[in-house]
Amino acid sequence: MKRRLWTSLIGVVLIVVITLGYNIATNNTPILGLDLQGGVSVILAPTESATADELTVIRDQIRSELERQGIAEPDVRVQGSTIVVDLPGVRDQQEALSAVDVSGVVELRPVLNPQSCQTGEVAPLPAGPVIGGATDASVPTDASVPTDASVPTDVTGSQPQGLRRPQAPTDTIPTDTIPTDTIPTDTIPTDTIPTDTIAPAPVNAPLPTQPAESGAVLLPTRDGSAECLGPVQGTGEVFERGSAEPTLDPAEGWGVSVGLRGGEGRDTWNNLASQCFSLAPTCPTQRLAIVLDSVVQSAPSVNEPNFTDSVSITGSFEQADADELASVLNRGAFPVEVEAQEARTVSPSAGSDSLRAAIIAGLLGLALVLVFLVAYYRWLALVIVGGITVWAGMVFSMASFVSGWTNYALSLAGVTGIIVAIGVTVDSYVVFFERIKDELRNGRTIKNAAPRSFKMTWRTIWSADVVSLIAAGILFSLSVGSVRGFALYLGLTTICDLLVCYFFTRPAVLLLARTKLMAKQETVLGMKVATA
Amino acid sequence: MTLDTSVSRSGLGRVFRGQTAIDFYGKRKVGLILAIVAVVITFGSLLTQGLNLGLDFEGGDAWDIPASEIFGVDEASDVLRANDVSTTGARIQLRSSDTSDVVTVQVEVLSREQADAVTADFAEAAGVTVDEVSFSFTSSTWGAEITEKAIRALVIFLFVVAVFISLRFEWRMAVAAIAAMVNDVIVAVGVYSVFQFEVTPATVIAFLTILGYSLYDTIVVFDRVEENEGRFASTKTPYEDIVNISMNQVMVRSLLTSFSSILPVISLLLLGSGVLGAVALREFALALLVGMISGVYSSIFIATPLLAYLKAKAGKTSRRERLLGDDLRLAVMGAGVSGQIAQDSPRSDDHDDASGEHVDSEREPVAVGAPGQADRLLTHPPRPRKKKRR
Repeated sequence: MKRRLWTSLIGVVLIVVITLGYNIATNNTPILGLDLQGGVSVILAPTESATADELTVIRDQIRSELERQGIAEPDVRVQGSTIVVDLPGVRDQQEALSAVDVSGVVELRPVLNPQSCQTGEVAPLPAGPVIGGATDASVPTDASVPTDASVPTDVTGSQPQGLRRPQAPTDTIPTDTIPTDTIPTDTIPTDTIPTDTIAPAPVNAPLPTQPAESGAVLLPTRDGSAECLGPVQGTGEVFERGSAEPTLDPAEGWGVSVGLRGGEGRDTWNNLASQCFSLAPTCPTQRLAIVLDSVVQSAPSVNEPNFTDSVSITGSFEQADADELASVLNRGAFPVEVEAQEARTVSPSAGSDSLRAAIIAGLLGLALVLVFLVAYYRWLALVIVGGITVWAGMVFSMASFVSGWTNYALSLAGVTGIIVAIGVTVDSYVVFFERIKDELRNGRTIKNAAPRSFKMTWRTIWSADVVSLIAAGILFSLSVGSVRGFALYLGLTTICDLLVCYFFTRPAVLLLARTKLMAKQETVLGMKVATA
Repeated sequence: MTLDTSVSRSGLGRVFRGQTAIDFYGKRKVGLILAIVAVVITFGSLLTQGLNLGLDFEGGDAWDIPASEIFGVDEASDVLRANDVSTTGARIQLRSSDTSDVVTVQVEVLSREQADAVTADFAEAAGVTVDEVSFSFTSSTWGAEITEKAIRALVIFLFVVAVFISLRFEWRMAVAAIAAMVNDVIVAVGVYSVFQFEVTPATVIAFLTILGYSLYDTIVVFDRVEENEGRFASTKTPYEDIVNISMNQVMVRSLLTSFSSILPVISLLLLGSGVLGAVALREFALALLVGMISGVYSSIFIATPLLAYLKAKAGKTSRRERLLGDDLRLAVMGAGVSGQIAQDSPRSDDHDDASGEHVDSEREPVAVGAPGQADRLLTHPPRPRKKKRR
């Protein structure tokens, strides 16, 4: 028992000293927030004129994309007709520029026959994924499970196998015998395509080819081959924002499910899907390409003419492909493309002396608290001084490591949050010592009282801290931005409180209570005790 | 064996020796009225003047002024002050790139004339023409998405915490703890609304901190209530007594803890924002201070009486009037230990020392008025109930 207490005490002190030493030696300190340390600011401008609403949409999308990348608590706002992104914890401007390069417009283009592009090179038909209608958007894993009897079982074959509508002509119609009654390109009702959201055809496409048909262009695919594509008929705006997610189906493997935006989005998509499904001349291959930055991300074949809520794309995906495609579909829903114009370093907004003031005030407050506790509890309060020191070292080390991994910056609010946490940490000692005093008052010796008191104290502290941990866990996993940063530091300080309480305070007090010195004391914790 | 069991003569001595006998339950109406007043003031203020939402929530005006040796962040804030624009919520930053440096000033929306005047002053102070100072509207940075997600997370959190407290303690404690917490957050929001402090993202963090602190404090108090509940289970002690006994027992702890939590915040308020001049800290620290005081207060005056009320509703009829005065004090002093009640209970300390006599003489009238009540409690000392989770 005694040896275990010593091990715990020495162990925790050693670990804290070593990690603290490591962090100081490697200059690994917590990233400070924009208000304390400043950061790098990138100004983004839309490539074409955009309305205020569109800019607001872009602002929200950039922020969520940055959060997804792990850049925490960016400050994104619309200023005039530009978007200003302030990034905390980013040291150089180049890093900032590449980090905010998250915008882009996903284009939907029908895949044409290779001859349409009139190049000698015929791109090999890649193993295309298929698009199937999902019956229930809310159950993504089931999204690609065909519930309709007309869905073919072999949807993952290397050659895209189209799904036929029951009233459609039989499957003997080859792709080149195009039914004349299908809708040609120019008769597509223009009102279903939001013209202002169509991005211009890329001018600097890596493999631009002179189009034989109007708008036909040869674009590279991700695996290096090329596809002949028709004109842009829709953008990523047809999809519900942020709804794309990778799905895993036991039968079909990895896929991507994405929700359709009600109204215009669904109309545009279904118009395109029915063209491809009926093998209209505008989409003779039945396949629809998803293009981002002039690269074909995926060219699945359309297996249904009508989609209600969501679209599922399945095929020979690896998990990484599915993740990638889902992220492309999510970020591609920018209404207009934005370009980074310049990067600037930003000075701290809270004023350079705010952090210093907070730290000085916090330390002074802490010192006052410790003086008060020593005066009140006498020399057993030295355990509190030691415990708070260990706690502070632990919080600092953990904050350094965690902000290194997660990029969560410590803002002024976070610093004050830690100052408040001092109170909660001190409370563990107060509960403990008051309990010991209760026991002493009733005639127990300190040696006897300490372990009993700790048992009861631990119950109390544990219950109360679990509530804080629940708060930290839920707020961290479900919220974004600075609320998330708060949750992180709340969780961190609470965990440190529990660890220090169990591994430092407990052995320290219990060992002290066993010493002969303690047994001889006439007053403990500032009160007279029964002496043995 | 010399024991310090005599009742202290001074009030403070009694507090720190855990010998108080305050009838918290009897004063529940005072606590409740104070809480209702705070809530009414908050909602009245919210309805009439609302919250003063800051730059990050509502957007504002922004200037980009070329920085030079004669014009920097300090000069920009001087210009704002000269134009009677509050610099508390303003964000003034120096943005520098390889080619040029600008000072970006963001403030809450100003009137057209005022904005033009500030633009002209900026140009003058920076020694450039008005055209070189770019003026634009800046949007909020706090999107609706952040609020939505935070609220959703909070609702789920409250649900999970309610389940946790129900499992660990009981559902009535969950109701009482969450009610006290809601009161604390309302009080903190009220401070912001009444004094029209600017609400920034940091303020939201302060509210969340208060929320966490309030729950923490309430649970520490409830843990003692639950412990005493088990201890007195065999004596048919009315719940009001258990509440009173527990409150008196945790009072020292509550006082010490609040003192040690609030001291750093006061230091932040007075030293940080007052002496060292970090204005950003002031309102934040004030909100924390009010919220934390309210957190401690609500644990004792809202959560616990509410718990007793809910318990009384549960049909547990009390077999007698609740203990008061010295009877309560004896119960408070006797029940504070794990294991058995000490043999030499304070009842038999008359021969011990001088102060015992004093207390005895003080206690006499009470004992006459309510004969035997405390006796019954103490001559059959409650045995600690073995609880299954202990």
